[in-house]
Amino acid sequence: MADNWSFVIAAYGLAVVVLAMYWRFLVRRERELDDAGVVRQQLRQAPGVSGHAQTEPGSRSPLP
Amino acid sequence: MRRLLGGATLAGLVAGLVMAFGIAPREATQGNVQRIMYLHVPSVWVAYLAFGVVLVASVVYLVRRDDRADRLAHASAEVGVLFTGLTIATGSIWGKPTWGTWWTWDARLTSVSILFVMYLGYLLLRGMVEDRERGARFAAVLGIVAAFNIPLVHFSVIWWRTLHQPPSLMKPGPGAMPGIIVAALLVNFAAFTLLYVYFVTRRTVVLGLEAEAEA
Repeated sequence: MADNWSFVIAAYGLAVVVLAMYWRFLVRRERELDDAGVVRQQLRQAPGVSGHAQTEPGSRSPLP
Repeated sequence: MRRLLGGATLAGLVAGLVMAFGIAPREATQGNVQRIMYLHVPSVWVAYLAFGVVLVASVVYLVRRDDRADRLAHASAEVGVLFTGLTIATGSIWGKPTWGTWWTWDARLTSVSILFVMYLGYLLLRGMVEDRERGARFAAVLGIVAAFNIPLVHFSVIWWRTLHQPPSLMKPGPGAMPGIIVAALLVNFAAFTLLYVYFVTRRTVVLGLEAEAEA
């Protein structure tokens, strides 16, 4: 029977591409979530940066 | 630890390729195209393993309501679907030169396709239900029900007359394969098992981070 190397290359090539893509997806997703987690933690530690304490309009002192 | 697992997986995959292309002999009947077996058979093994883990983790989740079990089931199902897809694709590529067709509706091919669609449905179900706890509960039930298809896939080639060959290793009676081919296959089984563990570990971490971000 003929060796059909092209079929062997196609099968292994497909497997390499699919598995490498899935690995890349996992690495990128984890990095994204890690970065987002760091940003969230920084915001929590420094509320002045984004979460300014808002005063109710009624409690504001009138302008002189 | 994860780096060590990644390194061991890579080493295992390289060893598997060396065994498949350098050590294992050219098969007398099919020629070199038979080397697809060292990819195709370990892929279906990983699919069985992955869906078996989904079954156990789903039972644990339903009993204890432990989110870690739910994340393990989710990660394992995703990796299982990936490897089932790879099994179907590589089997189709192997089938063309040996059977003369890319696809035929024989018992093994049909049952493995049903398995693939069922677990694809499992992943879709998780994405469709908005309430996370409810979605996890539904998915756990489906994960248990779908596992009943695994023995059907494995024994389909024994129970029915099919075009697909009988199981390569896990079959009743004495094995017919030469020792060197069995050794090459076992090295690839080990490498693919490591790859499964590596993928599931990483995916579980990602799912944990996603849950944290949503909270």
